[in-house]
Amino acid sequence: MIYADRNCGVIVTGATGKQGVFHISLMNSYAREVGGRGVVAGVTPGKGGQEVAGVPVYNSIREALREHDASVSVIFVPAAAAADSIMESASAGLSLAVAITEHIPVHDTMKAIAFAHLHDCAVIGPNCPGLLSPGEIKLGIMPVHLSMRGHVGVISRSGTLTYEIVDQLTRAGLGQSTIVGIGGDPVIGQTFTDVLRRFEEDDQTRAVVIIGEVGGSLEEEGARSTDLPVAAYIAGVSAPPEKRMGHAGAIIEGGEGDARSKIERLQKMGVPVARRPSEIPRLIRELL
Amino acid sequence: MKLLEHEARKIFAEQGIPVPAGSVIRSPGELAAAMETLGDRIVLKAQVEVGGRGKKGGILVADRSNAQELASRLFAMEIGGIPVREVLAVEYLDIRHEYYLSISVDRSRKCALILFSDQGGVDIESLARDRPDALRRAAVPVLMDRVPPFMIRDLLSGAPAEIGDIINRLYAVFCRKDALLAEINPLVMTPAGLYAADAKLVIDDNALRRQGIAQNRDLTEREREAEKHGFSYVGLKGDIGVIGNGAGLTMATLDLIQYYDGSAANFLDVGGGADQERVMHAVRLVAADPSVRVIVVNLLGGITRCDEVARGIIAAGVSQPVIVRLAGTNENEGREILRSSGYRMLDSMEEAVRAAVEATR
Repeated sequence: MIYADRNCGVIVTGATGKQGVFHISLMNSYAREVGGRGVVAGVTPGKGGQEVAGVPVYNSIREALREHDASVSVIFVPAAAAADSIMESASAGLSLAVAITEHIPVHDTMKAIAFAHLHDCAVIGPNCPGLLSPGEIKLGIMPVHLSMRGHVGVISRSGTLTYEIVDQLTRAGLGQSTIVGIGGDPVIGQTFTDVLRRFEEDDQTRAVVIIGEVGGSLEEEGARSTDLPVAAYIAGVSAPPEKRMGHAGAIIEGGEGDARSKIERLQKMGVPVARRPSEIPRLIRELL
Repeated sequence: MKLLEHEARKIFAEQGIPVPAGSVIRSPGELAAAMETLGDRIVLKAQVEVGGRGKKGGILVADRSNAQELASRLFAMEIGGIPVREVLAVEYLDIRHEYYLSISVDRSRKCALILFSDQGGVDIESLARDRPDALRRAAVPVLMDRVPPFMIRDLLSGAPAEIGDIINRLYAVFCRKDALLAEINPLVMTPAGLYAADAKLVIDDNALRRQGIAQNRDLTEREREAEKHGFSYVGLKGDIGVIGNGAGLTMATLDLIQYYDGSAANFLDVGGGADQERVMHAVRLVAADPSVRVIVVNLLGGITRCDEVARGIIAAGVSQPVIVRLAGTNENEGREILRSSGYRMLDSMEEAVRAAVEATR
């Protein structure tokens, strides 16, 4: 497993919102199931002193850290204030901030990630489902029932497509070490390259699935950077140019970032690329 | 959202970037007044957000004798399917040299990327392909308020030093306006100095509100309707309507349709929390496209309630067949509700897509 284990204390920011309350209770029911510490505190400025889903709420991350030991934040704060929450996490000394929030302006994201970098805080997301190490810890909103503990790492720019492929892996008897949703925005914190570097240092992980899509070249850069056996699926072979396909980052611009050229470049590096999500288990089995 | 040239050049001018004299006209009749200050030769530029509009006849050089006629011709044109409603009339520049300058978001370095070339005027994709050595780059660390002088020296190499000032002004526009792209192509040298002879600005859709832009003009009417419900919608050319939850899963559904030699009519991502109401609106929206002959719904989620989704599909009451793949809570209930109303619910996205493609044969 990478980034966090069951002993990590988790702080949720945007804790008193509908999403925050709902997912604190889901994360904590998983923590109980696996014997982890789970969410120890919530943060919403101005709402300190309340309690949501059985968790005390504080006005700031620093205030929460005076009472609780935590190293990770999961951010559900609305887009206008989410970048601030990333920076607050980093400034308070947390080592990981997982930003679930969608629709953060790119310029805000770039600044928050640069700021977090200065404080050695890794950012996962934004616009992501978070991270799940089956049997260990869940940070974010991924459904747990499709997953199974095992040796396959999964890195994805998507949410539900990740669940689809995790489901297929589990049905084929291929468990997962850690599943990381890195986010669907054009600028994200941890990229394929960063997550692959963590997987390289993880004894549990023996092969990695890269789930990419149109836009940018992060998939190829990741695959090029690693010695781990990697298989890939790239969504958007049928996507028209210059149209945003749901994710802010899923757009073919200036003739760059189209699925076909991505697939070709990956194949040239020797990475097997599935044409359909259902082919992933077979490709992974061939790598193991 | 892409701004029109005349909107972008106004913003550039406010930041102190020199632009040629000119004004926007909305009918050929307004031309005479506009021409008074522009000299004997002018350039008429159709204001449409279509790449390569010059090659498509959207940019014309005119003089006093034929300007009226050429303006009328432009207003009668459609470029890339878009009727010309506005024309920018600008002074004709005595161009001695053309440069390329742009600032965009570098996804890998997570900061602004400046591209500069002393071989401007051509499109950047072909320049990058044919003359990569003529294109210089500099990535500006995010927390900088100005472009460091050494970067400007590296970018310009032998080009005139006064371009450095324009680079910094364009960088200010890029930061201040939440831009994804700010481009001057060409930046031209004339005997009277440098001018931005074209202006391109793309604003981050997630920052439109704080930039004071009420409506995203890049969206079609149906896309805007979809946005009201919180859906992402993209119209395509085929006959299979597609509804999914999550952008990646929906894209993968489109790709599978293509894999099985079918053709998708749209991309519709209902987003999170697919309940009865939202699903009903989504199905109706997709069915309203007359080219849609069958609809495939592919929803996967831990917390998606299949019985609610099933009721939403039935409540939509559309005439096209709807083929459904649902996975979530209350799966069996959902399946039963759909089956008793004559809908097909299949176990995997592949089965659902294949059934939809077969239905169009």
